Amino acid sequence: METVKLQVFRYDPEKDAAPYYKEYEVPVEGTLLNALLYIKDNLDPTLAFRAFCRSEVCGSCSMKVNGKTKLACKTPMKELVETWKGKPLRIDPLSHMNVIKDLVVDIDKPIEKMKTLIPWLVPDPRVVPTDPMHESIIYPEEMKAYRDQIHCMLCFSCYSACEAVEDNSRYRGPFAFSRAYRFQVDRRDIETAKEKRIRYAISGGLWSCVQCQKCLYVCPKGVKPAEDIQNLRGQSVKKGFTDKPGARKLKHFVDWIYATGQINRLYLPEEVYGNKEAREKLTKAYQEMGVEVWEVPKPTKGLMKFRDIYLEILSKENKALELDFSHVRKIDKMVSDIFKADICTIVDRAHERGESAKGLIGKLKELLGGK
Amino acid sequence: MLEYDIVIVGGGGAGLYAALWAAENTILKVAVITKVYPTRSHTGAAEGGINAVLTHSVGDSPEAHAYDTVKGSDFLADQDAVDIMCKMGAAVIYDIAHRGVPFSRRPDGRIAQRPFGGASFPRTCYAADKTGFYILQTLYEQCLKNNVTFLNEWFLLSIIHNGERVEGITAWDVRNGGVHLIKTKAVILATGGHARVYWNRTSNALGNTGDGTAAVLRAGLPLKDMEFIQFHPTGLAKTGILVTEGARGEGGYLRNKDGERFMKRYAPEKMELAPRDIVARAIQTEIDEGRGCGPNGDYICLDLTHLGEKRINERLPQTREHAILYEGVDPVKEPIPIAPTAHYSMGGIDTDKLGRTPIKGLYAAGECACISVHGANRLGGNSLLDVLVYGRLTALEAVKYADDAPETNPSFAKVKDDEKRILELMEASGKEKMPQLRRELGEVMMKHFGVFREESSMKEGLEKLYEIKERAKEVKVYDTSKKFNTDLISVLEFLNLVELAPAIAIPAVERRESRGSHARKDYPERDDKNFLKHSVIKLGEDGSYQLSWKPVVITKFPPEERKY
Ligand SMILES: Cc1cc2nc3c(=O)[nH]c(=O)nc-3n(C[C@H](O)[C@H](O)[C@H](O)COP(=O)(O)OP(=O)(O)OC[C@H]3O[C@@H](n4cnc5c(N)ncnc54)[C@H](O)[C@@H]3O)c2cc1C
Ligand code: SF4
Ligand code: SF4
Ligand code: FES
Repeated sequence: METVKLQVFRYDPEKDAAPYYKEYEVPVEGTLLNALLYIKDNLDPTLAFRAFCRSEVCGSCSMKVNGKTKLACKTPMKELVETWKGKPLRIDPLSHMNVIKDLVVDIDKPIEKMKTLIPWLVPDPRVVPTDPMHESIIYPEEMKAYRDQIHCMLCFSCYSACEAVEDNSRYRGPFAFSRAYRFQVDRRDIETAKEKRIRYAISGGLWSCVQCQKCLYVCPKGVKPAEDIQNLRGQSVKKGFTDKPGARKLKHFVDWIYATGQINRLYLPEEVYGNKEAREKLTKAYQEMGVEVWEVPKPTKGLMKFRDIYLEILSKENKALELDFSHVRKIDKMVSDIFKADICTIVDRAHERGESAKGLIGKLKELLGGK
Repeated sequence: MLEYDIVIVGGGGAGLYAALWAAENTILKVAVITKVYPTRSHTGAAEGGINAVLTHSVGDSPEAHAYDTVKGSDFLADQDAVDIMCKMGAAVIYDIAHRGVPFSRRPDGRIAQRPFGGASFPRTCYAADKTGFYILQTLYEQCLKNNVTFLNEWFLLSIIHNGERVEGITAWDVRNGGVHLIKTKAVILATGGHARVYWNRTSNALGNTGDGTAAVLRAGLPLKDMEFIQFHPTGLAKTGILVTEGARGEGGYLRNKDGERFMKRYAPEKMELAPRDIVARAIQTEIDEGRGCGPNGDYICLDLTHLGEKRINERLPQTREHAILYEGVDPVKEPIPIAPTAHYSMGGIDTDKLGRTPIKGLYAAGECACISVHGANRLGGNSLLDVLVYGRLTALEAVKYADDAPETNPSFAKVKDDEKRILELMEASGKEKMPQLRRELGEVMMKHFGVFREESSMKEGLEKLYEIKERAKEVKVYDTSKKFNTDLISVLEFLNLVELAPAIAIPAVERRESRGSHARKDYPERDDKNFLKHSVIKLGEDGSYQLSWKPVVITKFPPEERKY
C-alpha cells in the first residue's frame, strides 16, 4: 500500500507550552478526511479535528495543507501527493481564529460578526404574503441573482484566507458579505433592511477589502465573495460627485466628518480649492500658536457609532449616497499610517483609554442643522 | 447549573424549526443544545426534496398523500398522525418559503414539484438537489434573526425525570469539558437517526449515532418499531454515500450486469420509482443471485448517461460531483456503481401523534422520534416533512406545557453519575479497541440484520451483539484532556450504538413476518393477523431489554396488499 507522511499541527492549550507538529504515516487512499480518520482509528485517538457529513456539504472539515485552504473530505490524497511531490504535507488549522485544540478553531467570532450584517430575509409584506396559506411567486430567472451565494456552508475557508481579516479584526469576513448580499438582490427582502445592510456592511469594513480575490479561489462551493463585495460597494455608491468647488466642499465636509468626526482644517483648502501649500503653512502657523495639530484628527471613542448615526441622518435626508467611500478609505488609510494601526483598532484603543466622545454628536447636529 | 424553560436537543431541521416556532411564540427561555454547529447537522445532506400537497397541485390531495404514506408504510403507520402530517404540508412549505428557502420554481413562479418513489402524484418540492441544505441554512438564519440561544458543541448525556415529568438533562461541554446540569421544564429531543449502527455501510453522517434515542432508552423509557431500518437502494458502491432518489426521479435507469432494466421484474408499473424498500431488495436480489456488476459482482449500475450533460448539471449537480469525487466515475459518461446503504431509522423514541412521550414535558421530533408516520417504510421526501411538521408541533406543545408547569428540581446525582462514567472510561483497561469493535458492530448488523433477514442468522447475530456489548466495557478513552476531547465523544457515541443495536435486533427476531423494510426470507409474507402492531422496547430495572407490542391506529385506510 502506498503511504505518505502527514505532519499534523498539534496543540492542546491545557498541556502544551507551544504548538508542535506530529508525523503520521497514512495510506494514499480516498480523501484527506479518510487519512485523518485513519490516524484517529489506528495511530492516535487524541488527535482533534472536526468532520461530520464526509461528503462536502456540512463545512466542518476545512483546514490547511501546506498553507493552502482545503476541505478535507473534498481533497483526494492522490491529488495532494501529486501536487506536492516528495514534499512533506503539513496540516494546519485555519487562520484568523483561535485554536481550541489541534485542528479545531473557534468559529464563534466570525459567526457573531456575520450576524451584524442581517444575513437573513426580512420579508417585504408587499411581496411575501402574510397569509401562511398563500404562496409567494418567484420566477426562476430572478433566483439567478443569488444562485451562488446560497451555497455558502459556513466552512470559514475564505475567512481564513482573507487579507482584510488579517489587517482589520473588525472586518466582517468574505462569507458574511456574500450572505448579506444574497438578500440585497432578493426581491422579497424589504427596502429598509437593504439600506441597513449597506450601512452595517460599511461599518463592518466593506471598504477594507483589498480585492485580493483569495476568498473566491478558496471557496469549495463556488461562492464569490470578492464579487459580492464589489457589488455591495456599487450599491453603496450609486451616485458620484460633480467636480465643482461647491460640490468639493460638500464632499470634504461629508467625507471627513464621516471618517473622523470633524472637518480637516489642514486639508480643506487643498481638497476644495486645490491649494497645495496651504497645508504646510497652516501647520506651521498652528505650531507657532502652540496648538497641537495632527495631520488627521485623532479618532476618539464612539467614532464607529458616530459613523452609524451620521449615515442614518444622511439617509434620512436621502444624501447617503453622497458619501464617497473610496475617499473615506483613503482617509482611513492616512489615519492608519499615522497612528500605526487600522481605524477600528485605534477606536478600540480609545475605548480602552476611555477617551470621551464628548462633543462629537453635538458638533454633528450643529453642522447638519445649519444646512 | 444552567436554567431554561424549554431545551431543544439537536440543531437539525427538527430542532431549528422547533426553536424558531418556540422563539416566536413565547417569551419563555428557550435554548438549543447541539453536538455540532446547527448548519452541520445531517439535515443538510438531504438532497431529493420534501413532500407536500400545495394549493396548485392539481388532482392531488392531502388525502391521497396520506394514502400513499400509509401504503408506503406497509400499513404500520398510525393513520391519525399521518393525517396531521399530510394536512400540514402546504402550511410548512409556504412558511419556510416565506422565510427564504429557495425552492425551485416552475416557469409561472410557483413551487415546482417532481415525482418521487411511492407517490401517486408529483408532490416532492425541491430546491435543486440540495433541499435539506437550503432548509437548514434558512432555518439557521431565521434563528439568528430571532436571537435563539445556542449551546453549540454540547453533547447530551442523560435525561432526568421523576417518572412523571421531565426535570432536566445533563450534557458535556465539548469545547471546555465538564458535565453540566441543565434545569428545564420541557425537553424536545431532535437528535436525528441511528443508521450509524451499520457503521461500515451507511449514507449517514459520522455522528448519526442515535444519542437521544439511547438516552431515552437509558432513562427507562420506550422506543418503538426499532427493527425498521431503511436501506437506500442507491449508495455509492465504495463508501455508502448517497445518490439521491432524484436521480431516478429525473429518469435514471437501474441495470444489472447484462444491461437489463431489472426493475421490470419487481415493479413493472413504477419501475425505478417504486418505493425504496422494494428497489433495495430488488438490487440486493440481483447481487445475491449473481447478476451484480463489477469484478466481484457486488454492485448495480445506475445509468444517467441518457439524460445528457445539461440536464445532469442542472438537476443533479451534486450527484455528479460526488460520483466523480468518491467513486471516480463521471455519470455523464458512465453509469454509477451503487448498492443498498443503511439510510433512515423509521423506529425511535415512542411518542403519540403530537410528539409527546409518556413523560410530561418530554417530546421527540424528527428522525429520532417514532410518531409513527413512516411505519415499516418511509417514503422519500416524507422525512423532511415529518421533521418540520413535528418540529413545529412539539414546539407549540412544549410552549403550552412549559407556560404553566411548575419549576423543576433536578438532582445533581446524574451529574455525578455521568462524571463517574466518563472517568471510568478514561481509566478502563483498553483491552478492546473501540474502532475495531465498531467495525465489528457494523459487520454484524449488516450481515445479520441487513436488507434480508432470517431467524437463525438473526439469533446468531443477537448473541454477537451481546458479546460486543460485554466487550465494550473494556474500551478506553485515551485522550484525558478536557478541551475538545473527540476521543471521548467517539466512544460515547459508540456506546450509544452498542446499546441501541439489541433494541433493533430483538424485535427483528420476534417480528415473524415481512413488512416494509423488514424483509424476512423465512416469513416472506406480511402477517396482519399477528403483526399489524408496533413493537415497543425498553430497558428493565436489571438492564435487560423488554419487548411488548401496541396497536396501530387505523382510521381511513384498511390494510391491503402493497403492490406497485
Ligand atoms: C444522505 C441523505 C439524504 C436524505 N434525503 C432526504 C430527502 O431528500 N428527503 C427527505 O425527506 N429526507 C431525506 N433524508 C432524511 C432526512 O434528511 C433526515 O431524516 C432528517 O434530516 C433528520 O432531521 P433531524 O432534524 O431529525 O436530525 P438531524 O438533521 O440529523 O439533526 C440532529 C441534530 O441533533 C444533534 N445531536 C445529536 N446527538 C446529540 C447529542 N448527543 N447532544 C447534542 N446534540 C445532539 C446534532 O448535532 C444535530 O444538530 C436524507 C437522509 C440522508 C442521510
Ligand atoms: S477579496 Fe476581499 S474579502 Fe476576499 S479575501 Fe481578499 S480582502 Fe478578503
Ligand atoms: S463563502 Fe465559501 S469559503 Fe466562505 S464560508 Fe462560505 S462556503 Fe466557505
Ligand atoms: S465532513 Fe462535512 S464538509 Fe467535510
